[in-house]
Amino acid sequence: MKALCWMGSSKVEVHTVSDPTILNPHDAIIKVTRTAICGSDLHLFDGFIPTMEEGDILGHEFMGIVEEVGKDVNNLQRGDRIVVPFTIACGNCEFCRKKIWSACDNTNPNAHLMEAAYGYSGSGLFGYSHMMGGYAGGQAQYVRVPFANVGPLKIESDLPDEKVLFLSDIFPTGFMAAENAQIQENDIVAVWGCGPVGQFSIASAFMLGAARVIAIDRFPERLELARSIGAVTVDYSEEDVSVLTALKDLTGGVGPDSCIDAVGLEAHSAQLQGMYDKVKTALMLETDRSSVLRQAIQGVRKGGTVSIPGVYGGLLDKMPFGAAFGKGITMKMGQTNMHNYMKPLFARIEKGQIDPSYIISHRITLDEAPDMYKVWRDKKQNVTKIVIDPWAA
Amino acid sequence: MSKVLNEKPNAEQLPTVGTVGIIVDGHYAPPPEDKDGKTWVRTSALVHADTRALYEIWRDTENIPLWQEQIVRVTRTGETTSHWVMQSADKSKTIEWDSEILADEPGHRIAWRSIGGESNNAGEVVFEPSPGSRATMVTVLQEFRMGKFTSLWESIPGRNPKQAVIENLRHFKALAETGEIPRTEGQPHGPRGKIADTKRSLYGEKITTPPGLNRKAS
Repeated sequence: MKALCWMGSSKVEVHTVSDPTILNPHDAIIKVTRTAICGSDLHLFDGFIPTMEEGDILGHEFMGIVEEVGKDVNNLQRGDRIVVPFTIACGNCEFCRKKIWSACDNTNPNAHLMEAAYGYSGSGLFGYSHMMGGYAGGQAQYVRVPFANVGPLKIESDLPDEKVLFLSDIFPTGFMAAENAQIQENDIVAVWGCGPVGQFSIASAFMLGAARVIAIDRFPERLELARSIGAVTVDYSEEDVSVLTALKDLTGGVGPDSCIDAVGLEAHSAQLQGMYDKVKTALMLETDRSSVLRQAIQGVRKGGTVSIPGVYGGLLDKMPFGAAFGKGITMKMGQTNMHNYMKPLFARIEKGQIDPSYIISHRITLDEAPDMYKVWRDKKQNVTKIVIDPWAA
Repeated sequence: MSKVLNEKPNAEQLPTVGTVGIIVDGHYAPPPEDKDGKTWVRTSALVHADTRALYEIWRDTENIPLWQEQIVRVTRTGETTSHWVMQSADKSKTIEWDSEILADEPGHRIAWRSIGGESNNAGEVVFEPSPGSRATMVTVLQEFRMGKFTSLWESIPGRNPKQAVIENLRHFKALAETGEIPRTEGQPHGPRGKIADTKRSLYGEKITTPPGLNRKAS
């Protein structure tokens, strides 16, 4: 089959590799009908995530048709159409029972690597480094899905792939971000980053009752998408714009009830601290650039909530913890507990409450993917979301 | 017992003696120090499965190759004795030893030691309800006598024996809770780079994941 492989920092290539096979009794093999490039794949592309290896197959947002199931998969059969969550969960351990699926104990074959870095290991993820399990990803024509009896959502309606594909990661991720933001009716919510996760955080904040959402970014195409679903936009790169002042101006001086950092570890900042973080990460004195998180902590109202769906991987510098303590804020974060959200969000799509395909800007073939990684990383061609048909020529 | 705190609805009785020396008179005790040629590892796992069923899996000596790394064969040689064969993934190195069960408390505890051959080790495993009886706490204490045998062992799995004990308990838990051990061996990948072999060693991926099939406890 054809698969997109990570071949080093800033280098991905399409290679012909062997087809995946059933390796465990709860595995399924699916023929991928649609897959997408995630903003977090760009962290891999940029070499920000350790324990990648040349030849690793990328991709954790995908859906397809079941080809074959292992002997203990009783809920799926050949021909079923499924969306697969990017976190792999066993369904039986302490954490799955608590519905903290992304902390599953039993799905990371390389748990010792994550234990060394984080104390305890989270669940395995598709196509996202050996520390996160070393599983082959879904930017390929076929993929092996472990614990297919637990994770995948069967799609029995005739909704097109593009409307349900984002149930694999970014829609649930944006929704959990809004849930973590502890939004009350008529709240004001600020969202940093209007990429795909930011978009679904904005949409979900509205669904959960927010009255105003303030969307912060610097790319016109993303800000336009945010306005198209009803958010007030702030372009932090415009001359004389200070985000903290904008937040006060737009909240009667109180600050947003909740702040959502949908940017994560490669934050860009127009201010001096952006340069500071770039230098420090380059010198390996900090691993993550954290200007957005600092701003979210500064910006949130007294007693407010900061929710972090953006990915962080390592050590952060100059965190304004005094501000966090002084205002008595709550912070919630983490990999998405996918399995809690796929069904209810699918129901919202079916009812027509949202059409997640509104963020798609590019539809490409697998062979075009290596170029498009670069295009998106370099923020060219007004990319908002790239969807791949791995079978298109 | 002091009378200053009288409301603790779910509190356990303060343990005087905990499993394999973890608690002594209500106070935590660290694992034994490595010295005099002995190296120790103590590790525990919270497993959602019946205590007795977990004991049964562990006690089923001949099926241990299903979940312990690099153990290719265990043969019963008597009521309490067995013969163990460990082999490197590339089959180039093999070590063998005999083992004897010293204590067997059904549903609760097994203790053993090697009695000759190319490994000098002793250990015990205890199965007990976790505080509040949410699940079963499985705790392993194992001791290796360093020497040419242990270093030979080390050259086989490509992990030090301490990490091997930790990984084996992880496999045991996964198998008991889910009926399988997570694995990536045999999945597709693109062309590997020049240092792929070094990286695989570093990630622990050169060690064959035990087969693990069909041993779910709950």
